[in-house]
Amino acid sequence: MSLLREKLLKGDFVITVEITPPKGPDVTKLVDKLHELKPLVDAVNFTDNPSAKMRMCSMAACKLSLDLGFEPVLQMSCRDRNRLAIQSDLLGAHALGVRNLLVMTGDHPVWGDHKEAKPVYDIDSSILVNLVQKLNDGFDINGNNLNGKTDFFFGATVNPVAEPLLPQLKRFEQKLKMGAQFFQTQMIFDVERLEMFMEYANKFAPKVIAGVVMIRNKKMLQFLSSKVPGAVVPKSLMEKVENMTDEDIAKFGVEMAASIIFEIIERRLCQGVHIMAFSKVQEVKDLLNLIEKRV
Amino acid sequence: MIVTKRKQLDEIAAYIDSYKKFFLIGCYECASLCGTGDEVAIMTLKDWLHKEGKSVTGWFIAKTGCQILGTKKEISAYRELIEEAECIMVLSCGAGTQTLVEFFEGKPVIPVNDTLFIGNMRRFRDFEERCRACGECFLAITGVCVVTLCPKSMLNGPCGGYKDGKCEVNKERKCAWIIAFSILERKNLVEKFYESLLGPKDWSKANSPRTLAREK
Repeated sequence: MSLLREKLLKGDFVITVEITPPKGPDVTKLVDKLHELKPLVDAVNFTDNPSAKMRMCSMAACKLSLDLGFEPVLQMSCRDRNRLAIQSDLLGAHALGVRNLLVMTGDHPVWGDHKEAKPVYDIDSSILVNLVQKLNDGFDINGNNLNGKTDFFFGATVNPVAEPLLPQLKRFEQKLKMGAQFFQTQMIFDVERLEMFMEYANKFAPKVIAGVVMIRNKKMLQFLSSKVPGAVVPKSLMEKVENMTDEDIAKFGVEMAASIIFEIIERRLCQGVHIMAFSKVQEVKDLLNLIEKRV
Repeated sequence: MIVTKRKQLDEIAAYIDSYKKFFLIGCYECASLCGTGDEVAIMTLKDWLHKEGKSVTGWFIAKTGCQILGTKKEISAYRELIEEAECIMVLSCGAGTQTLVEFFEGKPVIPVNDTLFIGNMRRFRDFEERCRACGECFLAITGVCVVTLCPKSMLNGPCGGYKDGKCEVNKERKCAWIIAFSILERKNLVEKFYESLLGPKDWSKANSPRTLAREK
């Protein structure tokens, strides 16, 4: 069962958060965080070795979350697994109760802490979307019969701030055609960019969840701008925080995210927001409080 | 061509530490274009060996080092000088080196170069990788080789990581798919391309070791 699917299909607004599984075997903090976030949001995404930095796998984190009754979204990239491993992991995740997937190409190993690793990229994310659709139809990627159909609610990613934009839009369409049931965007700082994308996307009536991030300090903004592939920090935002103290930026970061989300809700620009990693639980709480007050 | 680069001398030194007398073999094909298997490369290596207190019994440059029978014929003229050497050093690609490995089972055959990629020369000895020899060429569809030029070998358009059209892996380089996309646009083929999915790629065509037999 996927509540995320139910809500999105019903037309409800959803809020999801992202958690990066721990670097190491200790899951205490992860479980604490899950307890705290569970009452606040609809689902939690577990990243798949984000920025190609080695972490605990998304599937295990999803299982921990399921055990707590907190609906997970398993993220899977094409970087570390060939088509055999992808399919067997997906079947395994399904057996454990995972129903929501977000599939993507994945950041290249050059960004990570295992730069020497061989990048796999056996298939790309459009093919991966198609692959999940096949699993849901009861077939593997080669059309061999499975002993049943999976019941995945699966999404793909899109980057509305990419320049040039048209190739992104075509890939968005392609993923949609291949069966993607929802989309999660790259982080948005500029509602106008989301709006431009949605103007194009709306003719296909997709379920779109916008990525939002709370900036905390200048260093983080620099990091997002230079170390996160595809993320675009507007110059105006850089200039705005230039003379602020980090303390002020943290406060401003929550307020800015809140006003982006508020605007998305008020203008019904898309159907949900995804609070990206790098966030502390308290920041998520502050953010959701601010939104609740305004809505 | 097959692009090669000479190994660092300290790595070579470690391989040849216990030998005194050498025979050197270059290659007139790709390695000469790369400057890693021509006469200059051989003389440079010879000078270095002398400085290291070693001697060179002789040298020659194979016409096409990877052509086994042809090289075998050429090398017969140097048999005595080769006999005299304790070790053979090959200034070619890995394929050429292995031609010599086959000939001299009793003697160590040391590669002087690292074999890097199949590429094109942009300016004199500036090389760019262009082909991964994947066995399933999509150039007729994509215009530039996205399997090689895209670090993620995306087949259906760019990933979401490019910024201002530049690749997430190397900011100096234009995203291969932004180039491929503009080729599709110029040919008015974008819509047609996106009518279907390209791939999944048949990587079994790139399973090593590969052979190709003459069609009878």
